[in-house]
Amino acid sequence: MSLLGSNPARSDADAKLRGEAVFGADLARPGMLWASISRSPVAAGRIRSIDSGPALKVDGVLDVLTAADVPDGRTGVIVNDIPFLAADYVAYEGEPVAIVVADNRAAADAGAQAVDIDIEPTEPVSTPEQALAPGVRLVHPDWNRFAVTGGADIGRDGNVVAEVVHDPGDLDEAFAVADVVVEGTYRTPRQYQAHLEPKMALATYESGRYVIEVSHQYPFRLRDRVAQMLGVAPSAVRVVGHHIGGGFGAKLDVSLEAFAALLARRYRRPVRMQHAALEERLVAPCRANALVSIRSAVSGDGTILATDVEIVSDSGAYANNGPALSAIPMFVFGSIYRVGTARIRTRNVYTNTAPTGAYRGVNGPWLVFANERHIDAVADALDRDRREFRLASLARDGDLMRNGQPLEEISILREAFDRVDELAPWQGAGTGELRGVGQAAAVWLTNPMPGHATVKLNEDGTATVITSATENGSGAVATGLRQIAAETLGLAADAVTITMPDTDATGYDAGSQGSRTTHVVGRAIADASAEVRSQVLDRASQMLEAAPEDLTIDDGVVAVAGVPAASLTLGAVAQAATWSDGPITAGASYVTPTPPHDPACATGMLIKGWPTPTYHLHQAEVSVDVVTGRVTVDRYVVCQEVGRAIHPDAIAGQIQGGVAQGLGFALSERVDLDHGRYVQRTFKAHGLPLAEDVPKVEMIVMEHVDPAGPYGAKGAAEPPIVPVAAAVANAVSDAIGVPFDTLPITPEAVLEALEAES
Amino acid sequence: MRFCRVRSVAEAVDELSRWGTEGRILAGGTDVMPQYLRGEQPPAALIDISGIDGLQGVSEVGGVTSIGTLVTLRRLATASLVAMRHPALAQAATAVGAWQTQTVATLGGNICSAAATADTLPALLVADAQLMLVSKSGRRRIGLEEFLEGPGATALRPTELLRAIEAEPLGERSAEGYVKVGRRSAMDLAVVGLALRLSVTPTGVVNNARIAVCGGTRPPHRVPSAEAAVVGTQLVDGRLDCTDAGAELASAAAPERAREAEYRRRVLPRLLSRLAERCVAGISGVGS
Repeated sequence: MSLLGSNPARSDADAKLRGEAVFGADLARPGMLWASISRSPVAAGRIRSIDSGPALKVDGVLDVLTAADVPDGRTGVIVNDIPFLAADYVAYEGEPVAIVVADNRAAADAGAQAVDIDIEPTEPVSTPEQALAPGVRLVHPDWNRFAVTGGADIGRDGNVVAEVVHDPGDLDEAFAVADVVVEGTYRTPRQYQAHLEPKMALATYESGRYVIEVSHQYPFRLRDRVAQMLGVAPSAVRVVGHHIGGGFGAKLDVSLEAFAALLARRYRRPVRMQHAALEERLVAPCRANALVSIRSAVSGDGTILATDVEIVSDSGAYANNGPALSAIPMFVFGSIYRVGTARIRTRNVYTNTAPTGAYRGVNGPWLVFANERHIDAVADALDRDRREFRLASLARDGDLMRNGQPLEEISILREAFDRVDELAPWQGAGTGELRGVGQAAAVWLTNPMPGHATVKLNEDGTATVITSATENGSGAVATGLRQIAAETLGLAADAVTITMPDTDATGYDAGSQGSRTTHVVGRAIADASAEVRSQVLDRASQMLEAAPEDLTIDDGVVAVAGVPAASLTLGAVAQAATWSDGPITAGASYVTPTPPHDPACATGMLIKGWPTPTYHLHQAEVSVDVVTGRVTVDRYVVCQEVGRAIHPDAIAGQIQGGVAQGLGFALSERVDLDHGRYVQRTFKAHGLPLAEDVPKVEMIVMEHVDPAGPYGAKGAAEPPIVPVAAAVANAVSDAIGVPFDTLPITPEAVLEALEAES
Repeated sequence: MRFCRVRSVAEAVDELSRWGTEGRILAGGTDVMPQYLRGEQPPAALIDISGIDGLQGVSEVGGVTSIGTLVTLRRLATASLVAMRHPALAQAATAVGAWQTQTVATLGGNICSAAATADTLPALLVADAQLMLVSKSGRRRIGLEEFLEGPGATALRPTELLRAIEAEPLGERSAEGYVKVGRRSAMDLAVVGLALRLSVTPTGVVNNARIAVCGGTRPPHRVPSAEAAVVGTQLVDGRLDCTDAGAELASAAAPERAREAEYRRRVLPRLLSRLAERCVAGISGVGS
């Protein structure tokens, strides 16, 4: 019986339920020191002086380090713009200015508060619009001296961190002949990951190497970034991963680890650091706030002749991954609906705000929000039914994305429209006073980046998978990867153990991001397991005196097909092999090839293709409370294509969770900035949705096997968040008859619209 | 910090007079404990009154409802006497936090904490609640509205204990209710809370109206101008026109420039209409 499509227990479930699982934030070592960061209290300003005196008077404080005591120079993922500690000026509230090390945590925290940082504040560049205004102050006057390590010319210019331009050049003609021109501006705020376990680090230094224990989504990037910051070779850093208490993209880059590592070397003692709740918020790499303007030339028959898209996204004070993510609009506009000739310009800009970064579905929720709100606006302008117009405008198999990549299976999306309609018919949905219905579709990638696994058959007939794939909560590692190994090897799922990440012990792994683990690491595990299986069959065929092709392996037993008596346990085979030829192990690597594309399609593109796409349609039905302005989501349907569902319960969990996060983005979460500073500073003020605010999501999981994936699997975990805000905003706009093009759709905004309407 | 567990009101007031401003009463602990855990300056003595049986219980005494200071919000939300005689209070108690909070939080604690967002206070205000205070030097009775001096500030003297709350039950041809608007559907503080008690004559004219709000920057309070705009109004087709009262409510109850004031101004008239509709529907046997 196949393990695929069944729901075996997660390997970490028992420990997590009993509270026995050791998370990063649980780690402690005898004799460890604690360190804490003194951060800039202002969004922008020049550092006049830093007085460590008051901190050094705190009982237990050993030392205070400032920029003069740490490596100079700047580092980063794509642009080397981040100082180890701010030296001359601060560029955002919360920027590290000093490190206080102490023999206990309370002393370190008190010391960090006590450091007297004298800053002459300057008026911050607080919004992306302001950053682009003529004559505005530059966030980094020396921007031109920062090295770019992440690739080609990314269009940097002053406050512009990166610019991606796709310009086919003949839009004017289309706009001249258009019957209707539809314009819209779509504005979205930041989104905070709100994971529960704060960021932490535990560093030790021994035998000339740094060991960093951490809960992190991407241990290999962390290794490389720490090495970069300390100016040592990556091989001088070992990262060991522990259970992660939530990440959602926030734990993909370096945060406290290099500080802890530096101190561990200095004091030759373990050094532990951890963010306090407010620090988490202040320096979280939130989803970027963005402004998307779309102008479409449409003919009377509903054909979109041309589309002009202008995007500005907020990078915050440093570049991080913003330049790479600026390519993503190229994979949204024209990849779902036919939008005619499209010009797309994306600018990612510096502001004096906390650097933005990765949050589940990078850029997707706001790009799809803009795309789908605009499609509704075009349908309304043409007086067409919105679903019918979507179907008429839907791309067709063979259409090219803006990067020249063919859409090979976009017809899956057409099927999704049918499937959703069978479950929740569009006709009649969301009718009645102050009720509405909305749809949103997405084509989302499966992150292609490299993975590796070693599979070893143990001498007792069980198997161990050795990989640095990280379990970020989805179950991709704790069950999905184990199922793939077990299925290939002929074992029960619980006979497969999988290791925690360790950069010394495994091949490179690109971390828990973009739904890649099941697809990429799963493929490596399937290949390695197949090689192990082949070694088992070779050895067993000698022992059983039968041809390998006549052997079966089931539940840990190798048998000659049709001769049940002629059988061996896998343990017996493993032992025999170990003491003759040696242990049975195999390793395999996988990277998804970049899809065919036109390298000249745009300038500044660091992400070239959209590999292993999956297809998504969401439908939301809402009602609006005329008294309070509150939006209630009455019904929510997700139709999602996953390649092959390895663990259906885990997929359902990811869909339900992604929708919950999307509803928070759409309706209730607040991450407002006022002169560069965050307004909401507690979970209480933040407004995450509660269980009562989230409906039970109805799900349709479609399977269209991907030959490259393990047993046909693509990725599934990331994209359920992507279309949510778009579907909800379309539904609320339908309910009230007023367009909602700004998120979040707060009760205040709803009441304002209702009053304007009446 | 001293922890004093007292077994009687007499013991409690003894301890209060000993510690004065250095003492703090502990009842359900839903405010005291978070403050303690946040590391705020602890009192010299914590006087735990939770074991005093005499401060429990809901009873009817001479036409008024007497509620012991230790009665929990969960009890208020479920007791049939409260449901019949003080439905607004039952609804308000249900609206506080989660069950876990309601199960330990006490009405007396709610009153003495005097939070601007306290759901139970508007419901008590429309029942013209009177507070029974006791100290070593005697007893004192004070109206709730007078007692609430500011957010977190009350007329309670350091040596005094709130012993019981007396509230006027619903009369004939009367109805009341409490509605809360928070940022989320549960586990949140009130952005606006509104309590309304209405009485009408047999011919359907409003002869008494009490309206109280919480959730602003002021402590919970009644809004006499809105009440006056309702009194004397004739129900028409079983409906009460609250337009004028709503306007009064909006301007009187949300005058501040706070972040959410604009929203409060918009919501209050709408909320009043919804609540009035509910109340009118709950008053039977009225002709018009």
